[in-house]
Amino acid sequence: MTAPTASSRRRFDLLDPHEASRLAGLELLTEGIVEGFLTGLHRSPRRGFSVEFAEHRTYQPGDELRYVDWKLLGRKDRLYVKQYEEETNLRAMLVMDVSRSMAWSGDPARVLTKLEYVQRLVAALALLLIRQRDATGLIAFDEAVRAVVPARARTTHWQQLLGTVAHLAPGLGTAAEPALRRVVALLRRRGLVVFISDLLLERDLTLRALKFLRHRGHQVMVLHVMDPRELALAGPAEARFEDPETRIGVTLRPKDWAEAYRETVTGVVSAWRRACRGSGIQYHHITTETPFGLALRRVLARPTGPA
Amino acid sequence: MIGFLHPWVLLGLPFAAVPLILHLIQRRDPPTVEFPAVRYLVQVTQEHQRRLRLRHWLLLLVRTLLILALVLAAAGPSAPIREAASHSPSALVLVVDDSPSSGAILSGTARLNQLRTTARRILDRATPSDALWLITSDRVARRGAPVELIHAVDSLSPSVMRLDLGRAVSLAGEVLATDSRPGGIVVLSDLQETALSPASPNVPVVVAGPEEPPSPNVGLTRLDAGAQPWTPEGGTVIVTASGDSGIPAPVSVGLGDRPGRQALVPAGGSASFALAGTAPGWWTLRASKSPDELRADDDRVGLVRVSSVARGNWDPGDRYLGAAADVLVASGRLAQGPELSLGRLGPGASVILPPADPALVGALNRALERRGAGWRFGTLVVTPTISDSGPLLGRVQVLRRYTLEPLRSGATSSVIARAGGTPWIVKSGDLVLLGSRLDPQWTSLPLSASFMPFMDALVNRLARGSLVLLEGAPGEQVLLPDAVTEVTRIGRRWRVEGGGGFRPTLPGIYYLLAGRDTVGGVSVNVDPRESALAPARNAAIESLWRGARVIRLTDAPAAAFAGAGRASLQGALLWLALALMLCEVALASGHRRSA
Repeated sequence: MTAPTASSRRRFDLLDPHEASRLAGLELLTEGIVEGFLTGLHRSPRRGFSVEFAEHRTYQPGDELRYVDWKLLGRKDRLYVKQYEEETNLRAMLVMDVSRSMAWSGDPARVLTKLEYVQRLVAALALLLIRQRDATGLIAFDEAVRAVVPARARTTHWQQLLGTVAHLAPGLGTAAEPALRRVVALLRRRGLVVFISDLLLERDLTLRALKFLRHRGHQVMVLHVMDPRELALAGPAEARFEDPETRIGVTLRPKDWAEAYRETVTGVVSAWRRACRGSGIQYHHITTETPFGLALRRVLARPTGPA
Repeated sequence: MIGFLHPWVLLGLPFAAVPLILHLIQRRDPPTVEFPAVRYLVQVTQEHQRRLRLRHWLLLLVRTLLILALVLAAAGPSAPIREAASHSPSALVLVVDDSPSSGAILSGTARLNQLRTTARRILDRATPSDALWLITSDRVARRGAPVELIHAVDSLSPSVMRLDLGRAVSLAGEVLATDSRPGGIVVLSDLQETALSPASPNVPVVVAGPEEPPSPNVGLTRLDAGAQPWTPEGGTVIVTASGDSGIPAPVSVGLGDRPGRQALVPAGGSASFALAGTAPGWWTLRASKSPDELRADDDRVGLVRVSSVARGNWDPGDRYLGAAADVLVASGRLAQGPELSLGRLGPGASVILPPADPALVGALNRALERRGAGWRFGTLVVTPTISDSGPLLGRVQVLRRYTLEPLRSGATSSVIARAGGTPWIVKSGDLVLLGSRLDPQWTSLPLSASFMPFMDALVNRLARGSLVLLEGAPGEQVLLPDAVTEVTRIGRRWRVEGGGGFRPTLPGIYYLLAGRDTVGGVSVNVDPRESALAPARNAAIESLWRGARVIRLTDAPAAAFAGAGRASLQGALLWLALALMLCEVALASGHRRSA
């Protein structure tokens, strides 16, 4: 694994996302974020082994001796421990919204688009999960499923995930239900489903699909990503605000409607939070200004309990 | 009816459309902003749209009304409280037009009778707490109790003095400015167009005039006796008539009590009357036409001086002076005799030209001094110049001239004409001095059309003594010549100061005396503008007197004390504007809060 550059050693996880993105490419940045995040945690939150051999890795102090591959010690005179597929802690599926609305930033000079932010967050999350031997997969969707990466726990799997994430282009509309149904097919055993979206989609259908996943025994987590400008309405004295996906527009004076809009958005966020909690789904509201480390900490703080 | 003190401010009413225009401008082509969370905006607007739209239109309405209220308040509106007999104490100036035109008969009665009746009805509504003034054609603001002024109105008869309504309104405004009570001016007049002039009263003005159009009228507006003095052989009189009747009027013109000559004079035209000769002296010239509805302009008087022609002698060899004298002799304006010397200094009255030989100027000056003349010939000036234009002579070119120098102080007052800013023709006693010889090498005068009238006036008026013939109208000031010491008319005498003014009050002839000598007269006739009875348009009156209301004569009594019985709406409108302003603030802040 490539070491982070000198500049990326500045705790990327705590930097402003836009500033951090300017310092390094996606891979280095992600590693920097994860390194920084782990440094902050001092130790990995999970580790585990399987009875079905998956791969070897270098022995580290603390590893149980029964998993040391003595034959390999005899051949190479170095300690390796065996890792088994069945004993990975978790099978995680990251479900990522790449619709047109995600490719928007209220202030492109200062703030990443929601898609850019989510790409980095997903990469970091995947790296974290894979490092702790959790099989991690990816589903990207817009109005249809755009990319599917089955869950694997191999270290090299992250590179595959990273390549897929990096090349995701924004689509058109948003339809989360097919993607969530695809998760059912991909995660046959209980696992973790992380649904990352701006939630500008069919709420009832999406909630029903999420609840179904929960009903199947999966841990479900919703990351509601919003741009700061979506929280507080601003703009020229009077403007026509147009949805990039549906081209539906509303002409109004932002000054006149800012307060009502803020209340409405707060209500929408609260409604999502209530609906998710009521179904045992973790819900996290994240803005694209939130440092990645804080976002990861929020996501991984109580991985088994409701948010 | 609502009236306005500053109606021109109402031009600002279109500004009430400013909120609407701004609204429309701001609605035009708003920029498009890409915004993913439009669904939240749709949700918000659906919840609040109806209420906000109502509030928005209310805001627009309030802002429009606010501007309207402010503009109307600035225009100083007032409205009658009620047309009741009682009113609050007020000041009122009643202008009753008793000018000669008010004597025009219409439907068997003089217009002044209608005005008097209306004035009396107005004064009947007055209370002892009102301050009242009456202004008529004598332009004196008489203050009095209602009873006194009713008596004054009853005693009014058509005056011979013209009333300038603009000056009367201005005078009324000045009078009201001295009183603290709410004031108003009521003008009762036949509203002749020729009687109007601009005025800027700062109080409400009610103008009332009869509705019926005036009768056709023809009046004598000019009586011209031609060049004076007349010779005993007689003279010619030109009579001019004006009016709106197409029928020529028979006019009789005569001197003194002698039977006159008659002719038809068309309205807007003139007729010439050749009158037979009479004895030397001052004669009153009378012109009369057949009576019509306005009698005041049917007669006109003038003054004619009849005297024998001047008897003079001259050098027949003088080409231009001799030729002019011959023409005057041929036309009966000059005869041969010792009385007047033309061209040189003689024993009697003399018209003196500078000698052709400069060496003789000194001897001439010494002779002038011996005669007690106040002037002498100075140096020869050969710079071409132009003479000043005066009553005796127009502008003529002067190529060479002697300067004329006064020998005594005060002599400058007898300068008749100047050239190059210095005296050119002067009079001293019975001597007239010309700075240039009457020769084209000296001046262009002998070649000009005015040469013969100039020579006639020179021999018959200037050299033989002054003849002052002035014209005037009753009540109008006439400026008298310096020498006049007394004015007489039919046994009445007024001591006057020469150069001062004299204000005749009646039509007729006023003789001007200098010591014991009669030096001229003033022909006083009714102002010719009184003959034009056409009334002014209401719009013309309202434009001349801002804030004036033109109403029917019958409505005048009710409107007379409307100034006091009128309530100013300004305060109410300002309160309304304040309330609207508060509404605007409340709506605007509520709009932002709820949106």
